[in-house]
Amino acid sequence: MSNIAGKVYAMNVVTPLTWYTKLLNKFRFWFVKLPGGASYLEGLLTLSLIHYARWTIVSPGKFPRLDKSQPKETLKYSYMFFFSNFNGSWDQYVDSFSSAIPDGLDLFWHKNVKYPNSVPCRPFHAYINYNQIWTDHYYNAYPLASSNDVKGAKHLAEKLRAFNQANSQTSPELFQNAYNRLLLDLQHNISIMEPTPIVSLSSEAIIARKRQIKAAVHV
Amino acid sequence: MYKIRAVILPMKIFLFGGVSRLLSNIKSLVTGAKPPLSAAGLTVLCPIVNSGDGQLSNAMLTSRYLHTMGLHNNSPMAKVPNTYLCRFYVLNDVFYEGYPATEEHLKSKYLVFSTNYYGSLETYLENMWHCAEDDVKAIWQHCVAFDKVSSAVDFGKYMKKCQIKDNLFFNGSTATPLDEQLKSLYLKQEFSRFVYQNQGKNSQELQQAFQAFIARTQPDDLNAPTWIAGADEELIKSQG
Repeated sequence: MSNIAGKVYAMNVVTPLTWYTKLLNKFRFWFVKLPGGASYLEGLLTLSLIHYARWTIVSPGKFPRLDKSQPKETLKYSYMFFFSNFNGSWDQYVDSFSSAIPDGLDLFWHKNVKYPNSVPCRPFHAYINYNQIWTDHYYNAYPLASSNDVKGAKHLAEKLRAFNQANSQTSPELFQNAYNRLLLDLQHNISIMEPTPIVSLSSEAIIARKRQIKAAVHV
Repeated sequence: MYKIRAVILPMKIFLFGGVSRLLSNIKSLVTGAKPPLSAAGLTVLCPIVNSGDGQLSNAMLTSRYLHTMGLHNNSPMAKVPNTYLCRFYVLNDVFYEGYPATEEHLKSKYLVFSTNYYGSLETYLENMWHCAEDDVKAIWQHCVAFDKVSSAVDFGKYMKKCQIKDNLFFNGSTATPLDEQLKSLYLKQEFSRFVYQNQGKNSQELQQAFQAFIARTQPDDLNAPTWIAGADEELIKSQG
């Protein structure tokens, strides 16, 4: 069991909400997707530590029932499922959210049952911790890369291909001038990716995962 | 009752995207254009049969199996093209938030599968079946009605029955195919090394080194050399 795959942490939070809050919050999510509502997501983009995240509200009658032999759910509340794939530790993530985009959090968890608001931090930490579910299997296609690495790599690859095309036949002097300009342009993206530093809970997870990988290799 | 529904339904359609979907569908029909491929999310909740093998519940057996799956490039999901990040967990119950909230419990346990992928959902699920059929069968073996799934088409239908539509999908990364992302990461790593290793060289040496770098890394070839999906630092280092 691990919420960690390389540099990414998987967070799962499930929280109840009443039927009228569900309607209101579905409208909020819909509004955020409009061009004018996108500003609510700017904080998330600026933090730049999330690969992908999503919010999904399931109504009591919408839990999949595939066969008559399966008992029918008799829930009163709707439930909001939150999934996030972020870089860094749990504390860093929750604190970043709470400090940088408290309004955004309060918008998305608006009036979920017993939601304490994102500020102050301690009750918010306790709320997320209580409603979090551990991941049984987590897969990441690029364990060595952060979200910024993925975005930076795309930029670097594009520039590198263009540079190679434009300078394949030039003289060494012109090549060096163009190369220096390329490095200036790419200075934010030139860095060697290394394994994630061991922090808090992840150190245990790393040891466990190494043991599991070795076991898988020997099988 | 019917009158109330007649008012509420159009309101719901309008409020929750019905109008935009309708306009988008009309546009597709008129122009014949398919929506552009992009990064997307899939969330499924698959009910697990409420019994077990006499010792452990099916939910526990599912959870146990998930724990035995290989990690990183040994994960079955590494075989499924265009999977960026994905997870599985067993939802045993919902949480009670304390008085005065109502305490309630699920009647079934659910296998939750949440994936972030590139491309169309149909292609993704089809690939998932074809590339990891044995693993898919093992993971979903205790789920309700999964015994009726015997082909990629069945699997696609099954997953769509269990799909929960996302209310908000946030992409903080890039919306490019996985092979492009992996090649870009490979180039970033290799080019960063190249820059450090070739500091202070004269222009002729630098140009020659760069030409050798391009010949070795093949920036336009997405297939090779590149990072393997799910490869961790040890595997990348062993590849040189």
